[in-house]
Amino acid sequence: MGQLSMRDVRKSFGTAEVIKGVSLDINHGEFVVFVGPSGCGKSTLLRMIAGLEEITAGDVTIDGKVVNDLAPVKRGISMVFQSYALYPHMSVYENIAFPLRVEKIEKDALDAKVKRASAILKLDERLKHKPGQLSGGQRQRVAIGRAIVRDPSVFLFDEPLSNLDAALRAEMRVELSKLHGELDATMIYVTHDQVEAMTMADRIVVLDGGVISQVGSPLELYHKPANIFVAGFIGNPKMNFMPVTCLSSTEKSITVSLPNNAEVTVPVVASGGVVKGTELTLGIRPEHVLPHAGEARVETKPTVVERLGIHTVIYATQEDTDAPFVSLLPGAAPVAVGKAAHLGLNGADCHLFDTDGAAFERDVALSDVDPSLLTQ
Amino acid sequence: MIDRYSWWEYVLIYVGLALFLIFALAPFFEAFLVSLRPLDGLFSIPYRFFTDDMSFDAYISMWKSVPLLWRYMLNSFGVAVAVTLFGLMAIVPAAYAFARFEFKGRDALLGVFLAVNMVSGAVLIIPLYKVMQGLGLLNTYFAMIAPGTAFVIPTGIWLLRSYLMKIPRELEEAALVDGAGRVYTLVRVILPVAMPGIMVVAIATFIAAYAQQFLYALTFNSVNELNTLPVGLFQFFGRQNVVWNEMMAASLVGILPVMIVYVFLQKYIVAGLTAGAVKE
Ligand SMILES: Nc1ncnc2c1ncn2[C@@H]1O[C@H](COP(=O)(O)OP(=O)(O)O)[C@@H](O)[C@H]1O
Ligand SMILES: [Mg+2]
Repeated sequence: MGQLSMRDVRKSFGTAEVIKGVSLDINHGEFVVFVGPSGCGKSTLLRMIAGLEEITAGDVTIDGKVVNDLAPVKRGISMVFQSYALYPHMSVYENIAFPLRVEKIEKDALDAKVKRASAILKLDERLKHKPGQLSGGQRQRVAIGRAIVRDPSVFLFDEPLSNLDAALRAEMRVELSKLHGELDATMIYVTHDQVEAMTMADRIVVLDGGVISQVGSPLELYHKPANIFVAGFIGNPKMNFMPVTCLSSTEKSITVSLPNNAEVTVPVVASGGVVKGTELTLGIRPEHVLPHAGEARVETKPTVVERLGIHTVIYATQEDTDAPFVSLLPGAAPVAVGKAAHLGLNGADCHLFDTDGAAFERDVALSDVDPSLLTQ
Repeated sequence: MIDRYSWWEYVLIYVGLALFLIFALAPFFEAFLVSLRPLDGLFSIPYRFFTDDMSFDAYISMWKSVPLLWRYMLNSFGVAVAVTLFGLMAIVPAAYAFARFEFKGRDALLGVFLAVNMVSGAVLIIPLYKVMQGLGLLNTYFAMIAPGTAFVIPTGIWLLRSYLMKIPRELEEAALVDGAGRVYTLVRVILPVAMPGIMVVAIATFIAAYAQQFLYALTFNSVNELNTLPVGLFQFFGRQNVVWNEMMAASLVGILPVMIVYVFLQKYIVAGLTAGAVKE
């Protein structure tokens, strides 16, 4: 229980189409994160699953049943809102008990369920308080308590952590992941924050302008982004892009020349071959830039240097083109604002995109992501 | 809380408030002084506010001068309560519908409601009289309650609608996801959250209902026992003279219910009742 699928789901508000044909299968027990920039339709898609927004076209199926015309409560879902949406006049206990009161559940069973939920969420001490007396993190927990008390097969979260401060957010990320393990339920989680997506998801769905840009595990998205949009969206600091020209290609690699005429061979699948002289886009993540090394060299002039102890982030301009170039070097890198920094990159770390922005598939094994690169 | 104003802004604010208070309270103060003084000395020249012979005698004698005075007060209070209750029964669901639902002609209808407020009740007295006569309702409480209710509803809807629109939609959506139906949500979630707004509307409606009684009672009613206070007060206009001190005393006593209702209801107007419902 907790299997969900969408078939060419569409949504229009008046004449504006906001969700433009989304198809997706989610398995029982998965933690799926919808991520994308503000306004790309994440909330709308989630609300269509919840039954708060009518489905213009297509089908949403939960546990084998088309739910398009079912009321939210009949879909076996529960939802946590970005604004918490707690009932301000009710105590924490009554807030959590609300769905059970609606169901007219017998008193002892209700009490047991509320106590269980509040124990999981460490709210035992707060049951008599009103939402107004709670901190942001506690309110968030009450909202989650109200969601779990009904034992839904699918949990829907709409940016539940976006109103918390950074430290609490990190803490709640861990707690939500734990909760997911304990509850054995499917969770669909909406966020615009790629760090939340990378840290919590089994699978990430990247949305861009109402369509799915890519679906994959966090590491797939990191190492094998399908297009420039995903490449730029996942990872922080953002991937560097520069225009390059194809010099030659084989089945397994493409050799390109950089704006400064340096040459690099990128191991990607180019089965059809790429015509010499084709304009391509090369991408290199800041954390893959090397100091004083690499098959291709890039001369830069740093404009801002951020020292974080564990690593140094350098915002620079490229010598020949003045285009921005960001690098992330381990430890305290010996660089200074205004003093030339000699950087380089290896072909194996590079991404290549065609003129439409689609990626050539990289020939890499998926390895672990250095978690320190994701903290923000 | 952080001080939002500098000291001279506070001075301006308090001077303004003081002026407003003086203008608002002066008539009551004067009425009170008049009610304490014997009738003979009231029109002495030069006029004097305070004299040695002040007493509360008028507050006792007035009940004898106008024997049905207590009945008029009771009628006034009863009619105002009825108008408020019937009014709210229409205002609350209507305001909710106007705040939440999209329907054809909604804005036009709201405009009409606003326009109704600009028409004086006096204009409608003759047609209303005909209606009441046709329905055989003249000389009943209903003749005062029905038109009174009709007149307070548009303003009430406007007031409450703007309050309800501020209640986050997500609160209702959460209730919907939790399985609650429209009516359950309205009764258990929206009304409690909207209680401060409803109380404001109730007070405003009660005051309006209390104030508007003169015209309806005067025209639709000729049974002395059913008269409301504003009409009853006219009995202090004697053939020879006006019993000003007793009339002022009766007026002030007549205001008491409004004050009591205000004090009673205002404790429900707790600012920040929605605190904690949603993030700011
Ligand atoms: N009720 C609505 N009426 C009209 N347009 C809407 C409505 N809700 C959302 N939209 C539009 O749909 C788009 C996607 O919104 P939303 O799903 O809230 O984005 P996200 O959650 O990804 O930030 C936005 O352009 C927004 O303006
Ligand atoms: Mg959103």
